[in-house]
This record gives sequence, structure tokens and C-alpha cells, in this order.
Amino acid sequence: MNPIVRVEHLRKVYRVGKEKVVALNDVSLGILPGEVCCIVGASGSGKSTLLNQLAGLEKPTKGKVYIGQHEISAMTENELAKFRQAHLGFIFQSYNLLPNLTAVENVAMPLMFKGVGRKERTKQAMAQLKRMGLAKRANHKPTEMSGGQQQRVGIARAFVLKPKVIFADEPTGNLDTKTTRQVLYRMLAMAKENGTTFVMVTHEKDLAGCADRVITIQDGNVLSDIVVDEETKAKNRAQMFAGVEENLVPDEPVAAQPDTPDTKKSEEK
Amino acid sequence: MKISDLLKLSTDNLRRRKGRTVLTLIGVVIGTCLIVVMISLGIALNQQYEGMLRSYGDLTKIQVYNYTYSGGGNNENAPPVLDDKMLETFKQIPHVIAATPQYQPSNLSAQLYAGKGDRYQTYFNVNGMDPASLEAMGITLVSGGYLSADQTTTSKNKIPVLVGENFGYSFEDTRKSYNSGKRYVYQGQLDANGNPVPPFVDINKDKMILRMSDNAENNPKTREYELVVVGVMKSDYNAGYFTDSGIVMSIADVKKLEQAYQKLTGSKGGNSYMVSSTGGLMREKDNGYNNVYIKVDDVDNVADVEQQIKDLGYKEIQSLSQVREQMQGQVRKQQLTLGGLAAVSLLVAALNIANTMTMAIYERTKEIGVMKVLGCELGKIRGMFLIESGAIGFLGGVVGVVISYVVSFIINNLQTIIMFLGLQNQQNGEMGYDSMGMMGGGMMGGASSIIPWWLVVGAILFATLVGLVSGAVPANKAVKISALEAIRRE
Ligand SMILES: Nc1ncnc2c1ncn2[C@@H]1O[C@H](COP(=O)(O)OP(=O)(O)OP(=O)(O)O)[C@@H](O)[C@H]1O
Ligand SMILES: [Mg+2]
Repeated sequence: MNPIVRVEHLRKVYRVGKEKVVALNDVSLGILPGEVCCIVGASGSGKSTLLNQLAGLEKPTKGKVYIGQHEISAMTENELAKFRQAHLGFIFQSYNLLPNLTAVENVAMPLMFKGVGRKERTKQAMAQLKRMGLAKRANHKPTEMSGGQQQRVGIARAFVLKPKVIFADEPTGNLDTKTTRQVLYRMLAMAKENGTTFVMVTHEKDLAGCADRVITIQDGNVLSDIVVDEETKAKNRAQMFAGVEENLVPDEPVAAQPDTPDTKKSEEK
Repeated sequence: MKISDLLKLSTDNLRRRKGRTVLTLIGVVIGTCLIVVMISLGIALNQQYEGMLRSYGDLTKIQVYNYTYSGGGNNENAPPVLDDKMLETFKQIPHVIAATPQYQPSNLSAQLYAGKGDRYQTYFNVNGMDPASLEAMGITLVSGGYLSADQTTTSKNKIPVLVGENFGYSFEDTRKSYNSGKRYVYQGQLDANGNPVPPFVDINKDKMILRMSDNAENNPKTREYELVVVGVMKSDYNAGYFTDSGIVMSIADVKKLEQAYQKLTGSKGGNSYMVSSTGGLMREKDNGYNNVYIKVDDVDNVADVEQQIKDLGYKEIQSLSQVREQMQGQVRKQQLTLGGLAAVSLLVAALNIANTMTMAIYERTKEIGVMKVLGCELGKIRGMFLIESGAIGFLGGVVGVVISYVVSFIINNLQTIIMFLGLQNQQNGEMGYDSMGMMGGGMMGGASSIIPWWLVVGAILFATLVGLVSGAVPANKAVKISALEAIRRE
């Protein structure tokens, strides 16, 4: 199988005053379609920088980034915009929902950029929110939601266009352990469901354990690129998501079936 | 992305920042309002001037004189002879419809008689004009027809003429003494019963005899002609005073009378005076008609024709359109000054818009970054901000125009309004008649502020343009924001 995300001798140097900061030295890697890939490493090792290059948010100093057949490192900003509309999704650490739009409007935004009519995109956004267990919150503004809820809206927004690749930079960085597990569970489930390639930067070792591939970065270089074997993966996931499934907010909220006190507490703190 | 979505995003943004939007709008409203009102005042002023000029006389007439002030009697500087040949040259100039002198022979004196035994008498005063020019010169008729070119002296002693409608009043009754009030009848005179008194001579019926004499003490030689009235001119001072109580003949007939008179009296024709009535130096040599009137087809061509006449060598040229141009120049100057003031206020409004948009972009940097990452094209982001600033301009323009109408209404009805408020006190005594007339007529017989439709459209378009232009720089700045840096920002 050909990798869907391919990086060749990627180098990124930042110039701070007269000093040069080599964020990425010489990175080459490939991520296969449908894979869940975690990028791990120490703080300042260059994880975010790498992800930004992969997603085309920044131009590399040297080297090439391919997504599918397209060399995104050579695209103009407008070409990139179109390309993102068609193929890429993003989940941010700090959610980055538009504060003046409701949850459903936020989720529908990529559809709006693509030119989908109001009715149709609201329908699709609603469906996506439901899958995230947020149907009740559809008309809430971000400030009226908890961090976990906001991140679920962010995930719904990333998935609404059914992109080929989703990039996430520490998507659970602002959440507590319990919520992190729930959010991660949903992300992985959605990725699997849609066959989406999922590239995630994370600090947390146990999160990485659930991935198909773990790329470790050190000082701007790839330290290791490991495809996790099925057995370890299954074990890790079972451990990680034990009890999560039962505690999940139901996809279709039913008034008669209230959230468990535990979930409620973590969601609405 | 659909235009409707773009519009909604923009208007939502405007609505969200209501306070700031309104403040920015007020700036545009004031600017637009000032510009519209200033221009409307200028337009009204211009119209009043035009009306005033029209009351002065015909704007399309040019008067050319056969002398020059600057050259004195000096031959080199003198204009060419203003004769019939030159008249033909004038007529060849494009846009000239007619050219004629109002020739009053200097060397011809005669009396007109009417009634039994030549009882009624008046001095013969004639204007020789080109028959083809009469209508073009603004002469209108009460009855009869114009002179025609071939209709000169019909039989040997009969001369066709036009007379003014009040020509009859110029006759006096020679049987009454000079001291008697009955020697004259003036126009508008009423008899004891309040009926108008008719003149001694009925110009339509009575036979009128022109008689010239060599005034010899014994046995004076005389010549007689009969004047045949072919038309009666309507009294109109714009066309000339002679239309009221004068006589118009073809130039040819006037010249013939002149020759006859010279033959009769033996006096030589020519330039018996050297200073013109206007003070200009006359040349001793005969330089043709003292002045000639030229009629142009349209006001806008007058300046052009004047230039061509100047090129022929004539220096003294008069027309009301010269006055008109001066007036228009003045109005334009005033408009420019007023408009300049207004433009400054709109400039301030533009800076205001730019400032508002810059702030909006600063506030929404993160939002713009997120939109970019989610695949919003650059053009749409620019469009969003341009729509916002354009909408401020457009709305401000519309409101400004509406307010301008109110201001204009107030200006135009100031007197009425003041009276309504009971502030007027001087004229209270004679209110019934006087001030009613003033109310109807307004100031100087016209509105002081006029807002034509093109001003409305222009003002709104201009305000919108101001919005767009002042939003352009901030919008471009928004486009240039790096998505990554924008997202990182807190
Ligand atoms: N815009 C920038 N300008 C200058 N230097 C930068 C910039 N972005 C990143 N760097 C530098 O590049 C290196 C890698 O940064 P990066 O953000 O990729 O680290 P990271 O692995 O994501 O760390 P963390 O886990 O703390 O998020 C760091 O030394 C950082 O200081
Ligand atoms: Mg990072």
C-alpha cells in the first residue's frame, strides 16, 4: 500500500533574530491510508512543527510533503484552501470554535465554505453532532459548553466533510483523563467508521499505545517509527477504554435516560 | 461558499458590534449629508441664476460692435468693416441662425402722419433689420406676418413695415396745444368710466404717411411714402424696446429712404459723430453698422461662435452668456469650497471606517485563522470584510440622503416654518396678502436646495465606494494573516 501522507527530507529552520532554530532537521516518513498515527516526543522536539508542515499550514525550509498525489508543500494559499476543503480536517488543542456561532453552525462551517446550502449543511452537521452525543447542545454557543463538549464539537467539525486525513495537535491536551479517554474513543471510532487517516500529536504515552503507528521525534529527527502489532494494540485499547463505552453519552440522547452522575460532573464542571 | 452566506456572515458581524457600527455609520451619514446638501444648494443657486439671466434677455444672442476701445482711431487695431458682406460671413459660421443689425440711420429725419389733414403726427424712428432674422431674434407677432425678403417696397412709394403693438400711442394730436393733456394718449390711460383710452391712430386701419422734407423756408421740397403694416409685434423688451412702439423695416428699405433723404436735402451721409453712445471712439471712415446682433442655435455654442467672431477681428463682443459663464464660474467656486468642506468630513468618515475595520480584523484574527485552516478561500475572507465596510458606506449613504431631504425641505421652507412657529413678528400687520405671496414664491422665486435623482444615486454610490476603498487596506491585511500565527494567538 502506498502511503497517503509522505514526507521527504523535510527540514524546517526558524530564524529568531540572528539565531537559527532547527525545528526539524531531516525528516522522512510515510503514513498509510486509514492508519491512526501518533507523533510523540519531548517538549520542543518538533512535533507541532512537523504536523504543521504535514497539514500545509507552514512552508518547509527544505523537502517535500505529499498527500496522496499532491505536493502540498508547493501549493499556493488558495490551492491549499481548496485542498483542505476537499481532503483535510483539523482538530485543535484549544478547540478554536467560532465564539459567535452555535455548535451546529460551527460544525457546518466547512460545508459552508464548500458551498453547501444552509438546509443541507445543517442536516449533516446535526447528524455529526448526534454521533458525538451533542444533539442537545446543537444551539449552544461555545462559551456555554464544557471543554470536553467543545472538543467534541471540534471533532464533529473535522469529520463533517469526511476528509481523507485529519490532523490533530494534542486534541486532548486541555482535558482531564476521563474526558480524554471519551474524546479519544469517539475520534478513533469515527476515523475507523470513515476510513480516515488520523495523525495526532500527543504527550501522553498511553494514548500513543492505541495507535497503529507511533512516530517518535527527537531534536527534529525521527527517533523511531513503529507499527504497533495488533495484540499490543488490542490490549492497550481494552485497558484504555475500559468502562468508557458504558459511560458514554448516548449518541441519541433520550430524556428518560439521564447521564450518569460521573459523566455529568466531568462534562459540566 | 455562497454569496448569501458571505452576506450573512458580514451582516452578523456588523450587528454584533452594533455600537461601533452605528458610530461609524454616523460619520458617513454626516459626510454624505453635508455633500448632498452643499451640492443641492449649488444646483439651486445655479438655477436661480439661470432664471435671473433669462429674465435679462436672450442668452443665445451676441452683439458685435464695429469699433474697439483699445485701438482708438488707430487703423491697425480696428475691426473690419461691419457691412452686409460681413453679415453674410457671420451667417456662414456654424450654429449661427441669424445675423442682423438694428440699423437706425443717423442721417434721416422724417415725420409720420395719420388722420384727416395729417392731424396726428410722430417722429419717424426706424430699425432696419434682416427680414430673415426677425423670428430668430425673438420677435413675436400679435397679428399679421413677418416681413419677407422679397417683400420690400411693393410699389414705388409703399413700404411694408412691422410696428409695435403700442405704436399707436406714439402719435400726438397736433390740434391740441402742447400744454393740453389731450395732446397725448399714453398706454394704460383710463377715461372717466375706467375704460382704457384708445390711441389716436389705429395701426391696423389708419393710413400712415411718411414725409421727409428739406426744410427750406420757402416752398420746401418733400417726399412721401405710405407705410403698410404687414404685422404687429408683441411687446417684448427681451427682443428689443422697438417691439413695443417702434417700426421695423428691411435694411434695404431703410437704406433707400436714407438715400432719398440725402438726395432731397443734399446732405452727405456718413459719420457725423466720432464718439459712440457707449463712449467708444468711432473711426472717421465709414465702418459699417455700429453693431450687429447674432443669434446662435444653442447656449452651449455661444462661446464657440464668439471666438470665431473674435478671430475675424472684432474685439467688442457682448453676450449674456458671458455673464452666465461668470455666474456659473462663481457658483462652481462656491460649490467647490462647500463641497471641499463636505469632502473633508467624508474623508474623516473614511478614516473612521478604516479604523473600525482594522479593529474588527484585530479582534477576529483568530477567527480568520480558523476559517483559513478550515478551507475558506482568501477571496471570501477579503469579500467578507469588504462587504462589511461597503455596507457601512451604503447604509450611511442612504441614511445621509434621507436626512439631506429633510434638511433640504427645512431650508426651502424656512420662512413658512418660522411663521408656523410664530417667530415672525414684523409683518404681522399685513399678513393676509403679502406673506401669502412670499410663502408661495419662496426665496427669489425658487427653491434654495434642489436634490435631483442623480445626486441621490451618486451620493449613495460614492458613500459605498468610500466604504469599499477604506475597507480595502484592512481587508488585505486580513488576507495576509498567517493562519498558524492567528490560531496560536489567544
Ligand atoms: N514560529 C516559531 N519561531 C521560532 N521558533 C519556533 C517557532 N515554532 C517553533 N519553534 C521552535 O522549534 C522547536 C520545535 O517546536 P515545536 O512547537 O514543534 O515543539 P513541540 O514538539 O510541539 O513541543 P510541545 O510538546 O511543547 O508542543 C522549538 O525549539 C521551538 O522553540
Ligand atoms: Mg506542540
